[in-house]
Amino acid sequence: MAKQKNYGMVIDTRVCVACSACVYACKSENGVPEGYCRDWVVQETEGAYPKLRMENRSERCQHCENAPCVTYCPTGASHYAGDGTVQVNRYRCTGCKACLAACPYDARYVHPEGYVDKCSLCKHRLEQGLETACVSVCPTTSLNLVDFNEPEAKADEMMNGKEVYRQKEHAGTNPSLYWISASNKPGA
Amino acid sequence: MNMSHGQDMNRRDFIKISSLFLAGSAAMSTQIGRTFSGTGNALAGEHAEKVVHSFCEHCFWRCGIAAHVRDGRIYKITGSEHHPLSNGKLCPRGTGGIGQIYDPDRLAHPLIRERKGGQSTYRKATWDEAITLTAEKLYQIKEKYGPQAIAMLHHGYGYTFFKEMFKSFGVNKFAKPSFDFCCGPRHQGYILTYGHSAGTPEGIDIQNSKYVIFFGTHYGENMHNTAVQEISEGIRRGLKIVVFDPRFSTLAGKAEKWLPIKAGTDIAMMQAMMNVLITENLYDKQFVEENTVGFDELWAEVREMTPEKAAEITDIPAEDIRDVARRFASFAPSAAVHPGRRTQWYADGTQRVRCIAILNALVGNYKMPGGVVKYEKYKLPKAPHHHYPEFEKEIWSQYPLFTDIKPSNTMASHEVMQQTMNDEIKAWFVYGVNVPETVTLGRKATLEAIDKVDFLVAVDTLPMEVTGYADVVLPECTYLERYDDLDGGRPYRTPFVALRQPAVEPMFDSKPGNEIARMLADKLDLHGVFEDSVEEYLDKRLKAAGSSLEEVKKTGVLLGEPTDLYRKPGEKLTFKTPSGKIELASSKMREAGFSAVPKYIKHPEAPEGYYRILTGRKPMLTFGRTANNRFLNELPTARENDIWVNPEVAKQHGLTHGEYVHLKNQAGVVSEFPIRVKVTERIRKDAVYMVHGYGHYFKKLNWAYKRGASHNQLISQTEIDKAIGAVGFQNNFVTFIKEA
Amino acid sequence: MTETTTEIISTKLNPNVLPHLHIWEWHIPLYLFLGGMAGGLLVITSIMIVLKRRFGIGPRDEGDGCPCLAVRIGSILSPVLLGVGMLFLFLDLAHPLYVWAFYTTIQPTSPMSAGSWILIAFFPLAVLQAMLVNKKFLRERNIGIVNKLIDWTEDHLTPVALVNAHIGVGIGIYTGILLSFFSARPLWSSSILGMLFLVSGISSAAALMLLLAPDDEKPTYSMIDANAIWIELVVVGLFVLGGITGPANSSGAMMHLIAGDYQMAGLSYMIWFWGIFVALGLLVPLLLEFLEAAGVHIKFPQVAPVLVLIGGLVLRFLIVFAGQTYHTFM
Ligand SMILES: Nc1nc2c(c(=O)[nH]1)N[C@H]1C(S)=C(S)[C@@H](COP(=O)(O)OP(=O)(O)OC[C@H]3O[C@@H](n4cnc5c(=O)[nH]c(N)nc54)[C@H](O)[C@@H]3O)O[C@H]1N2
Ligand SMILES: Nc1nc2c(c(=O)[nH]1)N[C@H]1C(S)=C(S)[C@@H](COP(=O)(O)OP(=O)(O)OC[C@H]3O[C@@H](n4cnc5c(=O)[nH]c(N)nc54)[C@H](O)[C@@H]3O)O[C@H]1N2
Ligand code: SF4
Ligand code: SF4
Ligand code: SF4
Ligand code: SF4
Ligand code: SF4
Ligand SMILES: [Mo]
Repeated sequence: MAKQKNYGMVIDTRVCVACSACVYACKSENGVPEGYCRDWVVQETEGAYPKLRMENRSERCQHCENAPCVTYCPTGASHYAGDGTVQVNRYRCTGCKACLAACPYDARYVHPEGYVDKCSLCKHRLEQGLETACVSVCPTTSLNLVDFNEPEAKADEMMNGKEVYRQKEHAGTNPSLYWISASNKPGA
Repeated sequence: MNMSHGQDMNRRDFIKISSLFLAGSAAMSTQIGRTFSGTGNALAGEHAEKVVHSFCEHCFWRCGIAAHVRDGRIYKITGSEHHPLSNGKLCPRGTGGIGQIYDPDRLAHPLIRERKGGQSTYRKATWDEAITLTAEKLYQIKEKYGPQAIAMLHHGYGYTFFKEMFKSFGVNKFAKPSFDFCCGPRHQGYILTYGHSAGTPEGIDIQNSKYVIFFGTHYGENMHNTAVQEISEGIRRGLKIVVFDPRFSTLAGKAEKWLPIKAGTDIAMMQAMMNVLITENLYDKQFVEENTVGFDELWAEVREMTPEKAAEITDIPAEDIRDVARRFASFAPSAAVHPGRRTQWYADGTQRVRCIAILNALVGNYKMPGGVVKYEKYKLPKAPHHHYPEFEKEIWSQYPLFTDIKPSNTMASHEVMQQTMNDEIKAWFVYGVNVPETVTLGRKATLEAIDKVDFLVAVDTLPMEVTGYADVVLPECTYLERYDDLDGGRPYRTPFVALRQPAVEPMFDSKPGNEIARMLADKLDLHGVFEDSVEEYLDKRLKAAGSSLEEVKKTGVLLGEPTDLYRKPGEKLTFKTPSGKIELASSKMREAGFSAVPKYIKHPEAPEGYYRILTGRKPMLTFGRTANNRFLNELPTARENDIWVNPEVAKQHGLTHGEYVHLKNQAGVVSEFPIRVKVTERIRKDAVYMVHGYGHYFKKLNWAYKRGASHNQLISQTEIDKAIGAVGFQNNFVTFIKEA
Repeated sequence: MTETTTEIISTKLNPNVLPHLHIWEWHIPLYLFLGGMAGGLLVITSIMIVLKRRFGIGPRDEGDGCPCLAVRIGSILSPVLLGVGMLFLFLDLAHPLYVWAFYTTIQPTSPMSAGSWILIAFFPLAVLQAMLVNKKFLRERNIGIVNKLIDWTEDHLTPVALVNAHIGVGIGIYTGILLSFFSARPLWSSSILGMLFLVSGISSAAALMLLLAPDDEKPTYSMIDANAIWIELVVVGLFVLGGITGPANSSGAMMHLIAGDYQMAGLSYMIWFWGIFVALGLLVPLLLEFLEAAGVHIKFPQVAPVLVLIGGLVLRFLIVFAGQTYHTFM
């Protein structure tokens, strides 16, 4: 039997330029309607002239291992897919929006067709052995799809020796996105 | 309020009324709805999918793309895995082609200007009518004034067929505005110094470099796919970046040092760096002795420019200047200064680029890992020749050092404006240049020139401003619906030839440029210019290169052997300059009557209460090319441009973040539309910044109309580089007019 | 020292969460209000039934062993109000046709799932109770099946009421728990919210019964209401204190509610909270009811209960809106 997958992402903010290619790639890949997005880009600049620091991040659903959206979904539409991802079964979704209120990362939106949608980690592509659309397009390779169950642990190799964080860990969500901080020195 | 476009021009009034522009619109808007609002299940259906490999047209980088077609529609565009400039990846604009092909405002059929009772309108025309009229008028003008009364302005890769057609017709006045503003100075600056171009992609081995210095050029916002890929790979490997920019750009955010240099003082800065390299003996003496000429002359020029002196000019502490120069030398030869792209900020772009080339030469990084490298081209035999009439002149430009390699332009675009004003040019054929919004000499001057044109043809895909002034509008289909000539002329790590091929049929009554050009050639009785079909032509060329159209259609590229980039120990270097060496002092500059070494010249300062207006790019847009692209423009960061203002300046003028103001320049021109204020620590106090490509005034651009403010409208003052004819436009200054 | 700033630019295109959560409009606060009142009604009526039947305490009845008129009306109103509330809940669903999905699964961790199942238990028992206390009236209609049902369960009114009292408490608390489980929304994530909504539901229910009760029954409900308001004041105090003294997320959110200048229908949250909810919705009616109990003649006795009802409604709107307009848990 093939080993169970446990997908997530390692996102290298040292190289991300906030270009948004990942946002457009997602929109066309997943037919995200005009006015909505599954991923988005944040450019954060801190400090005062001329001492400024910048971090760019491409954000999306964190595919939490302890996902409040799943916990609070009354219908089971939001669920763990067993491969480390959190998915929404739109044919069970009532649009009650409990999951939107529950998500500490504001990763979801109500699709105009009446169901709740969010990043699926391009499940349809994972199933075909492809990388996600956003990972594939990213010109800086800031986005990296990883399988945390992978034996040679590409993820560890990428993160070793660097300052890495996860977002809102204290929310108890156990998110599957890891961020290599922009404050790392080049080549760290 | 300055409404300089058209209102007061009766001869060539700007046509805003015709509803014919939008014939395709009703059908398109439902289509666009489908593109942009899917069911969220893109790959769910087991529809047959066709993947077509081609190359992108959203900027001149021309990355390889794969257009994915289902049910006769392109639903997504991804980066070609085969093309060396994409490596499977794209910049945001590359993905955005679907927003161009399915733009509901697209030009649907040919239009002919008609005057009725003092008012101009457009009428829908057949291709035969439009081509007949165009051919007749061009013929008449040629008969009456000679072929030199006709000029072609162009930008974008589809122009080649028109150029062939015009050459056979005897016309030899070609101008691409991008020469005047970006590629001209960097090209010539490099040629004068090294004997070869800086290249597109630039010959800088960024991914193996340890230390790269950027002057202004703002990678990350300026999104050349491959360069951005290399920079990020470099960062992963330990590349240190230094950015000189009056503004904290995205790239500055990645730099170990951001140096907010006073705009317009780069040459002083680079001279000071040379000064440090030489006085502290940090330069590569052996390399300089063996491979360069003019060192003494250079030293004589820069010896006075101590870091202390430069600190006063550039507003960067002397210690920082020393530090950067020393670190640059310490990492050399795996260190480089990047040539940049839009290099003509003032009238000294060529010499500024030469400073960059000289800094590289001083540290001896030529053909070294992480330094300056020279890529090679794929050996693609030239297109089969046919007879051209004798040209009166090969190069029409009056500037002595105007480009001296195979010209895609024979004069600068502002010369077209000037010659039109002098009645030397009577007809314009405009291919993919949105003239009123593309500097040349600023919007006002450009519109004055347009007013003098007897006959103006615009080939475009959209009702951009330029089409509103045309006598004939010829709707070209987009790059996703046509063949163009092979992209075979560019040197790169892996030499390549790339094919542009249609992914879907042309929509509406639009046609590929190659067909339009053929129709014109036929009407003008020019025989033998084109093969019977574009496929036949491409096949011939590819067969000459040992492949075939059928073969190349599969992946869209033909790849050569990777270039051998690095110098072998003891290898003797030669350069195609008059001296055969790197010319620190340029003999050609000297001969043409200019200073052989770069001199720092002080640029004018802003009047009290005004600020120098800087400009740049947004990663997801390419000015005219994407202005109306709803797919790309939808993001909150893309919808409009902001005017970046330092908090202290904001305080002084009582501006709050997010408010809308009008801008007024030193000549009293007031921006037609208001612009949003961005109060930010990310810019110096003596400059403001806005992205170019917004504030479109043509209502037929349903998305772009009135979003943000036009940068070009605020350009009243330009300086011309007397050596090569490039146009600098950064000596313009603005102040704020609060909304009443 | 120079001031440092943080500039954040985001491309997020999600009108549901930007600039803040925008998912629930008037439907949900109305549902919470009506649901709370329905729960409150069930609690009060059930207790009145038990008190009457077991201990003979309570206003005069019609001699049929069923309590006073207010209880009879209240028993009917409880399921009706909840039904109306649920209609709003239904209307709020983005895909109402999939409402069946609630009932083809049990999601033990989801308060909304638990709530939807409690509602299933609520309706039959609440309706049964309403029938039993109104059996005299029903018998007059003489509907066969109804008669049979009444005959069969008549003796079990007390146990039914005992169960219902608990269900009522459950519903009342549930309306608060529903929000308080959302730890991503700092204002809501307070364990006191359940208690607050329960007491508020009971006081609203008492106020409603006070409005409907005949004069001789009024003192009873006035007394219940006054006590509920007292307790509510204490719980509100705990809620506010708990928020202010909590970590940055909670205290920020609480300040947003009690001192915020964010507008709701043209007034700031601060005015709504202190002026309308606390002063008009709690203190003024408490004072009025105290005066009345002390024998002072009040010209318009309806004022106090109406204010309580308005206060209850405003509380739900305030909590739902202020919870959404404060930023997500950081
Ligand atoms: N996404 C995207 N990419 C593009 C384009 C696009 O439209 N969109 N356009 C393409 C084209 S045609 C071009 S020409 C290139 C242009 O790309 P670049 O060559 O990168 O552009 P510039 O306009 O030279 O540089 C803009 C930066 O220079 C800074 N600057 C301005 N004045 C000075 C100065 O005096 N000194 C210094 N040191 N810095 C200064 C500005 O603050 C700004 O950050 O981009 C290309 N790439
Ligand atoms: N004020 C100001 N002016 C500038 C600049 C600036 O920064 N500020 N930058 C300068 C620079 S560096 C450059 S390179 C120039 C570029 O300026 P332009 O040469 O004007 O080029 P674009 O804006 O890229 O494209 C112009 C036109 O091409 C059309 N087009 C797009 N695709 C096709 C096609 O497939 N076929 C045809 N026939 N037409 C097509 C578009 O609809 C548009 O009308 O602008 C320069 N002008
Ligand atoms: S595509 Fe890559 S570099 Fe661009 S914003 Fe997304 S993650 Fe960042
Ligand atoms: S990020 Fe939000 S939507 Fe995604 S799994 Fe976590 S809680 Fe759910
Ligand atoms: S909106 Fe849909 S997915 Fe979200 S909680 Fe409700 S039923 Fe579940
Ligand atoms: S993984 Fe797929 S669905 Fe998720 S953000 Fe990336 S492209 Fe969109
Ligand atoms: S850099 Fe971007 S816009 Fe330019 S050719 Fe490549 S993908 Fe297209
Ligand atoms: Mo350019």
